[in-house]
Amino acid sequence: MAANMYRVGDCVYFETSSTSPYQIRRIEELNKTPSGNVEAKVMCFYRRRDLPNPLIQLADKHQMAQSEDSPVAMKLKKICLKTPIGEEQAAQAVLDPAIVAMEEESTELPGGGEGLPPKQRHQAKHRELFLSRHVETLPATHIRGKCTVTLLNETESLLSYLNKDDAFFYCLVFDPSQKTLLADKGEIRVGSRYQTEVTNLLKEGEEDTRTSSELETLVWTPAHGLSDRQIDQFLVVARSVGTFARALDCSSSVKQPSLHMSAAAASRDITLFHAMDTLHKSGYSIEAALSSLVPASGPVLCRDEMEEWSASEANLFEESLDKYGKDFADIRKDFLPWKTLKNLVEYYYMWKTTDRYVQQKRVKAVEAESKLKQVYIPNYNKPNPALINSAPNAASKGAVLNGGTNGTAAVSPSLCASCQVTNSNHWYSWGPQHLQYRLCGSCWQYWKKYGGLKTADVFGESEAEVVRSARAEGEETALSVSHRPHRCTVVNCAKEFKLRAHLARHVATAHGGPGEGARPVMKTRAAFYLRASPFTRLARRLARALRRPRHFARSPFSPINLHQVKHECTIAMAGLGGAEMRGAGAAGVPRARGPVGAVATRLAAALGTAAPRAQEWLVLTPRDRMPTPNHVAFPKPPKAPDGSLMYERVLSRAEQEARRNEAAAQAALPAPPALKRRAYDDVNGLDRGAGGASGAREGGAPPAKRPNKHPAPMQRPSREQYAAMCARAQATGQPLPAHVFAHVNGKPTNLTGRGGRRHVISWMDAPDDLYYRATEAAKSARRSLSCGDLRRGARAPWRAMRGALVGVGALANAGALLGGGALAGAGAGKAAGAGAGAAPLQLVILD
Amino acid sequence: MAMQPHSKKRVCYYYDSDIGNYYYGQGHPMKPHRIRMTHNLLLNYGLYRKMEIYRPHKATADEMTKFHSDDYIRFLRSIRPDNMSEYNKQMQRFNVGEDCPVFDGLYEFCQLSAGGSVAAAVKLNKQASEICINWGGGLHHAKKSEASGFCYVNDIVLGILELLKYHQRVLYIDIDVHHGDGVEEAFYTTDRVMTVSFHKYGEYFPGTGDLRDIGAGKGKYYAVNIPLRDGMDDESYESIFVPIISKVMETFQPSAVVLQCGADSLTGDRLGCFNLTVRGHGRCVELVKRYGLPFLLVGGGGYTIRNVSRCWTYETSVALGVEIANELPYNDYFEYFGPDFKLHISPSNMSNQNTPEYLEKIKNRLFENLRMLPHAPGVQVQAIPEDAVNDESEDEDKIDKDERLPQSEKDKRITGDGELSESEDEGDARRDNRSYRVPQRKRPRLDKDAQPKDDVKAEDSKDDVKNVSNMEEPKKEVTSNA
Ligand SMILES: [Zn+2]
Ligand SMILES: [Zn+2]
Ligand SMILES: [Zn+2]
Repeated sequence: MAANMYRVGDCVYFETSSTSPYQIRRIEELNKTPSGNVEAKVMCFYRRRDLPNPLIQLADKHQMAQSEDSPVAMKLKKICLKTPIGEEQAAQAVLDPAIVAMEEESTELPGGGEGLPPKQRHQAKHRELFLSRHVETLPATHIRGKCTVTLLNETESLLSYLNKDDAFFYCLVFDPSQKTLLADKGEIRVGSRYQTEVTNLLKEGEEDTRTSSELETLVWTPAHGLSDRQIDQFLVVARSVGTFARALDCSSSVKQPSLHMSAAAASRDITLFHAMDTLHKSGYSIEAALSSLVPASGPVLCRDEMEEWSASEANLFEESLDKYGKDFADIRKDFLPWKTLKNLVEYYYMWKTTDRYVQQKRVKAVEAESKLKQVYIPNYNKPNPALINSAPNAASKGAVLNGGTNGTAAVSPSLCASCQVTNSNHWYSWGPQHLQYRLCGSCWQYWKKYGGLKTADVFGESEAEVVRSARAEGEETALSVSHRPHRCTVVNCAKEFKLRAHLARHVATAHGGPGEGARPVMKTRAAFYLRASPFTRLARRLARALRRPRHFARSPFSPINLHQVKHECTIAMAGLGGAEMRGAGAAGVPRARGPVGAVATRLAAALGTAAPRAQEWLVLTPRDRMPTPNHVAFPKPPKAPDGSLMYERVLSRAEQEARRNEAAAQAALPAPPALKRRAYDDVNGLDRGAGGASGAREGGAPPAKRPNKHPAPMQRPSREQYAAMCARAQATGQPLPAHVFAHVNGKPTNLTGRGGRRHVISWMDAPDDLYYRATEAAKSARRSLSCGDLRRGARAPWRAMRGALVGVGALANAGALLGGGALAGAGAGKAAGAGAGAAPLQLVILD
Repeated sequence: MAMQPHSKKRVCYYYDSDIGNYYYGQGHPMKPHRIRMTHNLLLNYGLYRKMEIYRPHKATADEMTKFHSDDYIRFLRSIRPDNMSEYNKQMQRFNVGEDCPVFDGLYEFCQLSAGGSVAAAVKLNKQASEICINWGGGLHHAKKSEASGFCYVNDIVLGILELLKYHQRVLYIDIDVHHGDGVEEAFYTTDRVMTVSFHKYGEYFPGTGDLRDIGAGKGKYYAVNIPLRDGMDDESYESIFVPIISKVMETFQPSAVVLQCGADSLTGDRLGCFNLTVRGHGRCVELVKRYGLPFLLVGGGGYTIRNVSRCWTYETSVALGVEIANELPYNDYFEYFGPDFKLHISPSNMSNQNTPEYLEKIKNRLFENLRMLPHAPGVQVQAIPEDAVNDESEDEDKIDKDERLPQSEKDKRITGDGELSESEDEGDARRDNRSYRVPQRKRPRLDKDAQPKDDVKAEDSKDDVKNVSNMEEPKKEVTSNA
């Protein structure tokens, strides 16, 4: 079957993931692997959806330029596609006001946008591909049919592609590594360096300096008066003379022991050419020619290289060919220096007609058998995993039920998400799982082949989003390593990475966190926190541009005009004194909302309902009547005579360094290698070993996982700031954040860069998501804990549990024992990650 | 002079017995040996004795610098495999090294190839021959100061420059699968040479040859590019070749033709992607030959050498107007032609991506361009029929002002001589149903005052020009011949 025969050069669909669209490839080579499978070396075509956004915009501009020969379009083309466009230039080009202006201009031109109705225009986008020089190898069994990809010619309408199945076009070449687009078009150059000077017509009476006699030598003319028969006869005679000459020649008679062989040798073309030459030189007189064939010196013997070469020379040649290949210069130098290069080449081409060559070729043919010209791939009949398996009726019933309960789906799942039909023999689930979209058979086919939905307006503007998330979904279930690179979803970045992990690293380092994109780029996001510098905090209060905190909190990706912020700040700050600035910079005065009861009343009034009777539990207990705890978790340090609080001094970094070096010099014991993963006890030691140890650890170059993972700012507040914080804490009755105690007195460390920059902890340090499953033993152990112990454990999950761990075993830390409770709380889990050694607990790392 | 499909012409053939021994290097697809294989086939087919056989001189540097720059030719003359390292910079500058390697005898090879085409052109100029063949020529990628695509010296340009001494207008046709960029570039700004290239376009060497590349300056509309896609077969090829060439002949009215017969457009070529048979390829030679103009045939690409020699052997027979047997005669390289040992080859089952609609659209676009040509001098001027004036003025509004003049001039003045018979075949039913183009075709026919068509060629008669317009007839004759 021709349809299932795939040849080198064919464009084909490849299925590398069951849910994502086919990939379009051109077969460059078909190779048989030792295991008997066929591998296809293929060249990649990219769909629009595979390209970074700025490039797509650029491609569209090019398309526009292509479709109109207007001056504007021509100008545009020159700007956009002069040379390969780098990513940055691409972004610039998009923003270039000149181009934007031209774009607007050109949309007004007649015939803009191909004059296609919107639906066709939408579908035409699915037919556009981008050629690349990227080559990869895929198993031939993943081929799912043929398609055609042709260079779009401007005489063609896009409609001619839409009207044909499996027909694609391309205009531009995409370089996935450079992320550039270029038009695959050479240039005829104009200028005196390229064109020739055109000879003038000879004028009347002007002499042509050319004479044929200087330019050529006549070797044969048909104007000779001899008949064909006479020439043939003469050729026979020439061959006979040659045979006889071989019989007389000693060297020949050794090589050609039989008359047959002599005759065959005498019939080679060289004898015939010589005969013709002789005839010509003899003025086409047979007689004269005959006598010159048999001069006094004996009959003429014409030998070509084939005959000239001895058997040993032939052997040498074969040997050298084996060794050097067809590098005749080297062969001559090392094997046959008495031959000329021309001898060698002539012999080579004659040797190819011999049996010896044919035999060698056969050996090579066996070797080359792995290279195939075509391969037969039967139709692929296995059902796609996305196929919704139940009978159509049951399926639709189920879907309706689901639809009833799931109000979030935009389209009722009983419809095709694309064409909205309700009847189809097959249904395929499509898009993100939770949305429960389904496609009818024909739309599914369309999706697989063309990488989109038939209509653009089903989801309105959001189709792209759906498709994008669907793509992410598809990638999750990719059968094999998909070729498609992982792309950064941050606006104007779109860098691509081979591995998801690399993308994750890029997102963490370049953009300081997971980008805007909805797709789950990694299992664990990079750990990071935003540290607002005093200036940032100030700016939040001063700048009008930042006055919508709720808005920005909801959409953290929406851009903020930094220039405006800076401008407003400088103006506002000019009018502020240092103290005021400090006050503004520090966490602001909380808005007075009044007691909860009042809020509730106010809300009720606003909603128009009767004010509820103030609930008793809503009434705040007066401060003086609050029960005093019999144990103070964080007792205040003693007061100095001047009234300030006295804290245990924490060593500065330099001091720590010095002290550690001292210790290292004194004690022979080597310090534990910094990069080694710390044992649980090592980490645990932190708790016992006072705050100083924590500081000491900080010195190590790559920060290891920290036991205390409150996203603690590294910058210590200034003395004044600290005082203000404490005062405020006291005033509001809030406990001080724990980290405050750890970092008093120190200077801002250099770990944090300039103000406002997001500090990033290497993603390598981010722990995997994990949870503890408590075993029966752990559960019963928990029950044996007192309420206080439990609370203490929850607060300090790394602390070894004292008290009765009867049935559990010697050492378990609180976090491990308390599992979920302690770990679910923010960063605490991260601390316990290191404590996985706790014996009775089963650690499950979420994948 | 009536058309003679297999007329006996005086044919001169240029060959040097050394040519086959130049070797581009291991693994290089260009094999001058194919020219020798062709030569041996010609001898054993008995075609050799029917032609004038010439050994060409070696073109001198002086001759080559008629087109090429002095320093480029000096470089070619001095570079050798053993002194390459001294020329690193120049090799880059002149694009010599990779595709165009330095090999032993490179300069001599160029001299022979160019010498053949120049000698052939001179021969035609002297009217000492009607058809000249140089299979060692056709190196159409070579640029003024740059080697390209296995070509170093552009023998075609040198040959055409020679022809221009005697011919006001020379037509260059290129049926190599690659675009004839070297020749097109050389003559891009002149109206005395029209270059017409049929080639695969899109992601293909040399990347030029877009439909929109039409020449520049005075040469605007004198470059004609027919971009084609994979899988061109005989039928499609003829369906585009015939109308384009007849339109070109009719509008450009050349007095000499050069045909580059690159055989890489054959099916199964190592570098090509078309699906032509030897017959389909040779058909182009046949069609051009029918115009009876001084005719220079050169080689070109062709990388499946057994098919190249088949093709050029067949085309020599076509030039000679001699039929040859499909059974290949025994020769030194007979084994190359196994397993069938036949002259003709079969197309493969590859799909043809050139749809009739695509070709039709290309053709129409090119026709539009050709209509922009100013009328060829010497073509009879004809009065505007009165009934056409109104239609004409309407049309004029639609056309760009700058481009309108030459075209409408031409439309109004050129007689219908050489017009395709299609319009005649349409019959009277369409007489009043005037479209933009139809009335212009019909007008001459309606005009009773038109002078006898034979007068049209008065000035060109020296070259014995016959403008063959009706391509239908020859087709029929061929089928009866076959
Ligand atoms: Zn549907
Ligand atoms: Zn990025
Ligand atoms: Zn070529």
